[in-house]
Amino acid sequence: MFDLSTSLLAGFTAPLDIGTNPLSMLWMFPLLISIAVVYKTTRLRVLFLKPLAVEVLILFLTLSGFMILAGIVLNLIVWLAAG
Amino acid sequence: MKPRSPIDHTLWLFLVGIGAWAVPGAGHFMIGQRKHALILFVTIALTFLAGLYIGSIGIVDPVGAKPWYLAQLLVSPVVGLIGQIAQNGHYPVYGRPADYAQIYTALAGLLNLLCILNAVYRAYTGIGEKIGQEEEENV
Repeated sequence: MFDLSTSLLAGFTAPLDIGTNPLSMLWMFPLLISIAVVYKTTRLRVLFLKPLAVEVLILFLTLSGFMILAGIVLNLIVWLAAG
Repeated sequence: MKPRSPIDHTLWLFLVGIGAWAVPGAGHFMIGQRKHALILFVTIALTFLAGLYIGSIGIVDPVGAKPWYLAQLLVSPVVGLIGQIAQNGHYPVYGRPADYAQIYTALAGLLNLLCILNAVYRAYTGIGEKIGQEEEENV
């Protein structure tokens, strides 16, 4: 138990190893979930778990779709400008 | 309990705002919206802690990254304490993890700003207490 908590706390003193490959873009998805949860929680008047989960999922998918689309468009612009 | 006089009401709004800043979700808790408060606290705290875990606590930098620090400070005044610890500890901060960590922690602060404004607005309009009562009745 002590080892686990010590290693967990030690994790906050050194950065994780994140490369510069396309897979590192996956780190945006937890952030999009946070945005969707907080925004929908502040918007909904009365909270029931199922409607909240549905609303959060729809917003998360919408945000993810637009982020992926933005990534494709930006890559396309770079590809056209470079080539 | 809903304050009656305008001065009490203004003081109440101020307290809700300060509470919401001190602990994410506390503003909603104070106006009786316990479910909102719990979800907001867990989400914002996890986002902020994930940021610290990704980039180390050295990313809370009141000197070298002031604009990011101001956004991070919106999570809670406790971030100021973390900034002091980080300044004295010389924790490594570099590369892609630092970028992600700054985005995570600053966004946690901006999300808490949204919660602060939402809690104060709900306290101002008085709908907070009404929703809180409805939620308590539905449990």
